[in-house]
Amino acid sequence: MAKILVVDDSSTVRTEVANYLKGKGYSVSEAVDGKDGLDKIKSDGELKLIISDVNMPNMDGLTMAEKVRSDLRNPGVNIIMLTTENSPAMKERGKAAGIKGWIVKPFNGDAIAGAIGKLVS
Amino acid sequence: MNAPCNILISKVLVLDEAERGDEMLKAFCDETGLVPIRPQKRAAGGVMSILGSNVDLGGILLYEDYGGSGRGIALAREIRHARPELPIFLRRRCVASMAGFDADTATLFRCAYTLDDLSVLRGSIEASVFSRIYPTDLVRDISIMTRESLRTLFTRCEVEVETPYLVKDKIIYGEVFTMIAIESAWCRGYMMLQAAEEQALSLLEPAPEASGRRTFRELNSVLGEATNLIWGGFKNKYVSPSGIVNTVQTQVPIVINHQRRYISFGSEDPQLCFKYVLKDRTRPDAPGVPIYQRFVFNLNWAPESFAENPSVESFVESGELELF
Repeated sequence: MAKILVVDDSSTVRTEVANYLKGKGYSVSEAVDGKDGLDKIKSDGELKLIISDVNMPNMDGLTMAEKVRSDLRNPGVNIIMLTTENSPAMKERGKAAGIKGWIVKPFNGDAIAGAIGKLVS
Repeated sequence: MNAPCNILISKVLVLDEAERGDEMLKAFCDETGLVPIRPQKRAAGGVMSILGSNVDLGGILLYEDYGGSGRGIALAREIRHARPELPIFLRRRCVASMAGFDADTATLFRCAYTLDDLSVLRGSIEASVFSRIYPTDLVRDISIMTRESLRTLFTRCEVEVETPYLVKDKIIYGEVFTMIAIESAWCRGYMMLQAAEEQALSLLEPAPEASGRRTFRELNSVLGEATNLIWGGFKNKYVSPSGIVNTVQTQVPIVINHQRRYISFGSEDPQLCFKYVLKDRTRPDAPGVPIYQRFVFNLNWAPESFAENPSVESFVESGELELF
């Protein structure tokens, strides 16, 4: 089953999203901020999808996404943001970094299950 | 109660024994948005006991002969010593002035009034307790955003909102769990969430481990995410991207004394407070658990520039995936 990385500084959100995805049969790992996320993406070439928050300590999610494309040169992994941010400027920056989608919190697994299935296939 | 949230109130401690004026003061409080609280004991110990607990006061209405002839003045000194942030409004027997007081005594009071003319008291209350204008839309939206955020995270609970209120108190309820900076072109300050740990822990889903017990760390995380959701909603609705200033801005120390449950942001302006009561649907007989939210716009407050952010309009609902 496809591997998904959940990146969020909130353990509440990580647990909620990870439990939902595990319930759908995905293999899920977690990272606590963008820096941790980047390390895990580097070390795990089998990841199919990253679901990441934007506002996090140490490294934010958009910077992490930019580094995935520029530093890791990894165009294969899909990234979607799960965040309270909803500004067009932030989304434009995300698009430029090759992000595939944007979810404004709170997380509603059933609303995005179909899209996740397509992104990891 | 789910209050309409379109008016602000403030609690005042009433230390008065006016038989003839009791109804008058009650009507005055109703008209001006004050919620009177009276101590059960007249003794100074009873009053100081109230002041030592969390009542989120906006001020104190004191009669100069409360507890006996002239004793109100001595009580005012005790109150000023213990809680200098609370404005004291003095009712006098005959004259609506500080006549007969030395300069030091006169500084204890915001105003002196008599029951014959409450306009003096009204003006002084407006100038000190209701001195800040909080736009009705803002107050209403904060309560809605917060209620939805708490409902999302405390899935077993109904969340009720009481009428928002203003406080000048610096003694807080329970523990401060979270604090986040609020930054925009028209306001700068902080938002805090306060709760009592034991009560709030009972609202979390049981842990999957054998113990089934949740710890304070999990409560920290849930209230942290609630704060994140509230600030996110606030920012999307009211903070224009062009309004975020990237230059170094003024900061002031925040004084926190845990032992005294005291917190000061360096401003004497009234703080905007909300009380949410969470009721567990699976335990209908259990008492509601309060969570307090406090906004302190101590660094900038320019409500004349308050406006809803037009860029918030979106065809994608919260929780849905917007594919690029």
